[in-house]
Amino acid sequence: MIEKLPSATEQQVNYVRIDEDKCNGCVLCMKVCPTKAIRVRDNHKAVIVGVCIDCGECVKVCPRGAVEPIINLTSDFEEAPYKVVSPSTAIYAQFGPDVMPNDVLLALKKMGFDYVHDQSYTSEMFNVAIELYVKENHEHGHSPWPLISPVCPVVVRLIRYRYPSLLKHLPPLATPREIVAREAKKRLSQKHGCSQDVIKVIHVTPCAAKMICIREPFFLERSYLDAAVGISSIHEEIIRNLKDLEEDTVLHHSGGIGLGWGMSGGEIAGLHMNCLAVSGLSETIKYLEQIEMGLLTDIEYVEFRMCTEGCIGGPLTVIDKYRAKHRLQTLVRLFGAERRVKYEYVKNLYDKGWFLAEREVEGFPSERSARDIKAEIRRRNQIEKILEHLPRKECGLCGSPDCETFAEDVVDGRSSLDKCVFLDAKGKEKGLQ
Amino acid sequence: MQSLTKTFRVQPRDFVKAGEASLKIQRLLKDIGFDPTLIRRVAVCAYESEMNVVMYGGEGKILLEVSAEKISVITDDDGPGIEDIEKALQEGYSTAPPEYREMGFGAGMGLPNIKKNADLFEIRSGKGDGTTLVMSFEVRQ
Repeated sequence: MIEKLPSATEQQVNYVRIDEDKCNGCVLCMKVCPTKAIRVRDNHKAVIVGVCIDCGECVKVCPRGAVEPIINLTSDFEEAPYKVVSPSTAIYAQFGPDVMPNDVLLALKKMGFDYVHDQSYTSEMFNVAIELYVKENHEHGHSPWPLISPVCPVVVRLIRYRYPSLLKHLPPLATPREIVAREAKKRLSQKHGCSQDVIKVIHVTPCAAKMICIREPFFLERSYLDAAVGISSIHEEIIRNLKDLEEDTVLHHSGGIGLGWGMSGGEIAGLHMNCLAVSGLSETIKYLEQIEMGLLTDIEYVEFRMCTEGCIGGPLTVIDKYRAKHRLQTLVRLFGAERRVKYEYVKNLYDKGWFLAEREVEGFPSERSARDIKAEIRRRNQIEKILEHLPRKECGLCGSPDCETFAEDVVDGRSSLDKCVFLDAKGKEKGLQ
Repeated sequence: MQSLTKTFRVQPRDFVKAGEASLKIQRLLKDIGFDPTLIRRVAVCAYESEMNVVMYGGEGKILLEVSAEKISVITDDDGPGIEDIEKALQEGYSTAPPEYREMGFGAGMGLPNIKKNADLFEIRSGKGDGTTLVMSFEVRQ
């Protein structure tokens, strides 16, 4: 019995919507949610009640397609005088073996964009920036080890929400997707002698969370990206456009390193240092917790990706992640497993602050922010007491994701003990004492 | 004084589950809302002492006691005990066999690290008597 229904604005903030007509109240999305933000109500419909980090796990797990990410072209974008498209590097894994990155970019342009900006080259530049920051950090010790990649928006959101003590492990650098959009706007406004405001950049993404990082760009005052669209929603059109490509401009400039960024290990493949690549929800959480405990300090940099196998495992992709991985590995071999960017050139930009984030990433204000430790200990005791009487079947039939969360919901007045189908009258009485 | 107590079991030589008790302690303290720096100090001590039980101890348990004024962690095992406590407290001193060192443990920093992080630290052990570590932390508000 969850009284508090999410309001319209809360639904919007999450960018994930549960379609009541399609939802049959099974427990799958609720169980998979890493922030335990979903509950199943008495009417057998799932609702989002807590902070969603937009990982897309619920989207992936729902067998009925009832959970949909809210991500679309905005009307404001359609009317813009200059339209720029900038795809995630995961897009290069979404087509057959004969389709080269440059073909994908040309086919995208044909969809009615004025410009296409590839991200793989900037990603290689970002690798250099990370190396420079790591070197600096060894000398000055700004950030604690290991540094955590700021690239995956879901990981950053997870850190902000659940592991705020790790915020200082994020290097203060803007992500490649934002740098690409920023530079595109800068260059085009100079070229056309227009204001940057009339140039709109859309991000083509495998990731359900990109919309949210456009609205809430954690490293910037305001995102340079204006809209996002899922790879899956324009995939067919790209394939159609690939058939008769007339233009043969070179739009893709990176080496294999930049192309490999879409898969787990792709970012650190370009780094010459002691690093790790971790992907997938449960592994990411495990490693974040280890870092929080002060472990892994011998590692310099950790690439985290919330989706298994990296961005190619994102919910808005078309090709299965393992096929996609093979595709990217082939491209990396073909283009050579090295960076094409010039170190000195990037260092010069780095020294000028080209990569610097505009502001520090902040933690989310906690749901129970004004903490009275005594009251919290009392609450925890009540929870432990109820837990003693619960069967620990972890079934989710009560509408809460697991027994512990159920006990919390009962104590917080969001559920009641009679929801537990295993607890007999005696147990209920004891638990309530 | 309202306090919360919880006991966690630790299995010797179980390297798959090693660290889980400390992780649960860390989660619990986080949920209550203690200062992150304090949580980290407690977690480091809980982890080091848990690993000691896993590597050298016998059947063990960690007792956590939490109040608004003080957090204490008591690790207790019925293993072979420590022969020379003074030596064990020296940085770099370790009796770890090579296979533990290969796993990245046994650098002889465990007990010194605990001593550094806990406000109060007491160790009771003797050959054949098992080991008890008492670590406590003041909650400053």
